[in-house]
Amino acid sequence: MQLLKGIPWKYAGRKLLLAIPLVLGVVTLIFVLLELAPGDASTKFLNPDFPPEVKQMVIEKYGLDRPAWYRYFLMMKNLAVLDFGRSITAERPVWDLVADALPNTVILSFVTLIVSYPLGILLGTWQAIRQNKPDDTAISVGSLLFYSMPSFWFAMMLQLFISYYLSNWVSGQIEAGTLPGFMNVFDFDVSGMYSNDLLIAMSMDDPWTWGQILSDPLGAWNERFPWWLERNLSMLHHLILPGIAMGIASSAGAARYMRSSLLEVIRQDYIRTARAKGLPERVVILKHAMRNALLPIITLFGLSIPYLFSGSVLVEVVFAWPGMGRLIIDSIFAQDTPTIVACFFVSTLLVVTGNLISDISYAVVDPRIRYD
Amino acid sequence: MLVPQTWNPALRTLGALPLALLVACSGGGAAKDGGASGAKWETRDTLVIATPSDIGSLIPVKPRTASDQFIISELTVPTIDSDFDCSLKKKPALAKSYEWSDDGKVVKLELDDRYTWEDGKPVTADDIAFAYELAGDKKVASPRFGYLEFMTEDARPKVIDDTHVEFHFTRAYDRDTQAAHVDLTAMPRHILGDADRATLEGHEFATKPTFYGPFRLAKHTPNQSVILEPNWNFTGPEERRPRLSRVMFKVIPEYSARLIALEKGDVDFMESLQIADVDRLRKEHAEDLRIVLRGYRAMDYVGWNGSKYEPFNDLKVRQALAHGVDQQRIIGKILTGEDGTVYARPAIGTITPELCGVHNDDVKPLAYDPEKAKALLAEAGWTDSDGDGWVDKGGQKMSFTMVTNQGNKRRADAAVEIQADMKKIGVDMQIDFKEANTFFDKVEAREYEAFLAGWSAGLFVDPSSIWQSETPDRPQPFNHTLYSNAEVDQLIDRGLATPDPREAAPIWKEMQQKIYEDQPYMFLWWINIPVAVSSRFENTTIDVLSPHRNLYQWEVPADKVKYKR
Repeated sequence: MQLLKGIPWKYAGRKLLLAIPLVLGVVTLIFVLLELAPGDASTKFLNPDFPPEVKQMVIEKYGLDRPAWYRYFLMMKNLAVLDFGRSITAERPVWDLVADALPNTVILSFVTLIVSYPLGILLGTWQAIRQNKPDDTAISVGSLLFYSMPSFWFAMMLQLFISYYLSNWVSGQIEAGTLPGFMNVFDFDVSGMYSNDLLIAMSMDDPWTWGQILSDPLGAWNERFPWWLERNLSMLHHLILPGIAMGIASSAGAARYMRSSLLEVIRQDYIRTARAKGLPERVVILKHAMRNALLPIITLFGLSIPYLFSGSVLVEVVFAWPGMGRLIIDSIFAQDTPTIVACFFVSTLLVVTGNLISDISYAVVDPRIRYD
Repeated sequence: MLVPQTWNPALRTLGALPLALLVACSGGGAAKDGGASGAKWETRDTLVIATPSDIGSLIPVKPRTASDQFIISELTVPTIDSDFDCSLKKKPALAKSYEWSDDGKVVKLELDDRYTWEDGKPVTADDIAFAYELAGDKKVASPRFGYLEFMTEDARPKVIDDTHVEFHFTRAYDRDTQAAHVDLTAMPRHILGDADRATLEGHEFATKPTFYGPFRLAKHTPNQSVILEPNWNFTGPEERRPRLSRVMFKVIPEYSARLIALEKGDVDFMESLQIADVDRLRKEHAEDLRIVLRGYRAMDYVGWNGSKYEPFNDLKVRQALAHGVDQQRIIGKILTGEDGTVYARPAIGTITPELCGVHNDDVKPLAYDPEKAKALLAEAGWTDSDGDGWVDKGGQKMSFTMVTNQGNKRRADAAVEIQADMKKIGVDMQIDFKEANTFFDKVEAREYEAFLAGWSAGLFVDPSSIWQSETPDRPQPFNHTLYSNAEVDQLIDRGLATPDPREAAPIWKEMQQKIYEDQPYMFLWWINIPVAVSSRFENTTIDVLSPHRNLYQWEVPADKVKYKR
């Protein structure tokens, strides 16, 4: 309840109202850019294997021959009732495509964020406490290196060195009996969400079905729980490498922000006062200094929230993770306007929400901040 | 592997967790009988095929990707099957017999009545007629629309009874092409008869189809995998029964990730390998991988656009440029392995050399001869008059831009090599790499001076879309260079109207010679496509027809099985 009291509701409402023209502006911009780009969704039907009439049929079927302004107003009219229409390439409702991809991206990004930020905060705090010591320097150099490294390249290096060399070595050692069997946790698949064995098992039987759960809950529990656990353990295992590739830069960024922010805070008078009162250093840092030092990290975290949904496009492609990033890139290449617009609509909405959450978090974390 | 292959009894002890959590997190989905439990014959192991894209639609009249085509071919049986030996050799399949009328205008098929859909209903002539009905419906916008071009409106096709069907054509033409046109996969009218044709690709059938082939779709996990298992209700001949327990198409969009997965053993089959990688695979994985060359199905060429850069209208200039580029050197540099294996041969046209009865081996590629190139340029009025190293005419140096698409390493390397050779004969060629959509848009609109692109060749001859002259009533969107030669037009018309391939062969040979003499393209090379397959698979057919043909015949010896499930 204490937390709810700190939330500036009026401010949040105002921000959400302001989001409407922003989202419409972004959707309009995306539409204009797609119109300016060469070709359209019918281009892929221009192929010597197909008669030229097919391209014309596709153009007529999707109204691509209608003037741009007509298609724009039609799109806006549908958007007003949150209807994104059908994907031109998949001929399925766009929301179905988003519903397939979104959970996978949320899992990947959520796990990445909840691991990478605490890690970054921990490292940054450690650096601030150990300022100018060798470990501070080493972490600074390391975090700068990872922060400036392109995530797709890092992803490929992880595949090569971890999925290939390390995994081959581990499985070789297990086979030779020099490593115990449980060390196969270091045997990483190159890509995907599940191991081949599990994909095969999933093709034979799904872990849970509503029918089974409702008709025989206990039986379903006994029979299905290990199966369900196996599936999710496999997914967690497959999350590790894309998670590292996506999260390492966030961790490094958070560590650098946390270090400088904490160094600034611990020079403040109230920290000196806390120390003078004889409080243990642990309490001074954790209770008094960190709360204020976290403000820039909250901004960073707020800006990262859209990643929960749009994902890291390149990392998803490299690791064959079937999320929003893949959907966005595939629809851009296919020039599938309804799908692209839906993806950017969701993404924009989440940037706004992310910023709002970080603004509200300021007020919750720092009682001095008031928006009303 | 992280996950044990049998349920770990220890995991059962974790049953104390709240059921509600499980319900909330459950994946849902429909249960079905395990494939192995319904086994009616012995099968072993799983073949894992790396594929860059997911299935788009498994509706045969509406395939979207190459993966769709391959998977459909495993889920069905062709109406008329083919082997390939210099030309397509037709053989019975769903149609147990087929015959042409004497005038070549009617094709009669008799269907094998053993075949049934997965739900037990027989595959009938009406299901074939339904496929053509869908292909001809403009609401469907089927890429197979062209199959009906020469069929009479009352016989597209004509259903005689459940097992007999006739296709009537307005004129006779090449029999291989005609056979391809009557080979549209049957569609189940009893399932799709009432479906909305405008959104056919969005129908559940597109990702959960029911067919009559040796395999059935066991599970499609969007953007991850497609798993096929034997169709235990398969009623076709015993020799078509699969010997593998499963075939998994694993979606891995990135080339390097596919390659690492292949080397690690996560996938068993990968196509479109780069030559440098083939060398390494041969050295480092000689025991566990086999490299197979599929044959010449893809070619590269440089197209000249005289409407945008006037000097290309001069035959002597085009010939000079062909003499000025050392194709053998470039093949040696970018399409030859370290062990000396050559993965390409010079091209003289757009008919694949695999069609050995039709390909004109007498046409010899213009030899690399920079001096002759310079002489031909001089004859056309292009000389280095100011001594700056570049040929010029009327004060303008010969300078043009060649566009090509991004993301194709072979073409990028070739473009640089061609540029270097051009410089040696005093021609300034700039390279412009464009994003694929932009590139194809430019080429379609003929807004380029020169372009480096490729064709994928069919296994029956129909060069009309590329080489026939464009007229107001007959647009030719693939005649990108606006090539026009009345003699070639006549030869194409004659060739296409000649049903007997043996009689058509000399016509096609003459056409190739005339086109090569005109040099509308700088024909570069045909590429012998390398694929890699795990050594544990035997009885594999990897050929020019398909990278993995007749999967039902592939098998694994009992002592080499990798996937036990």
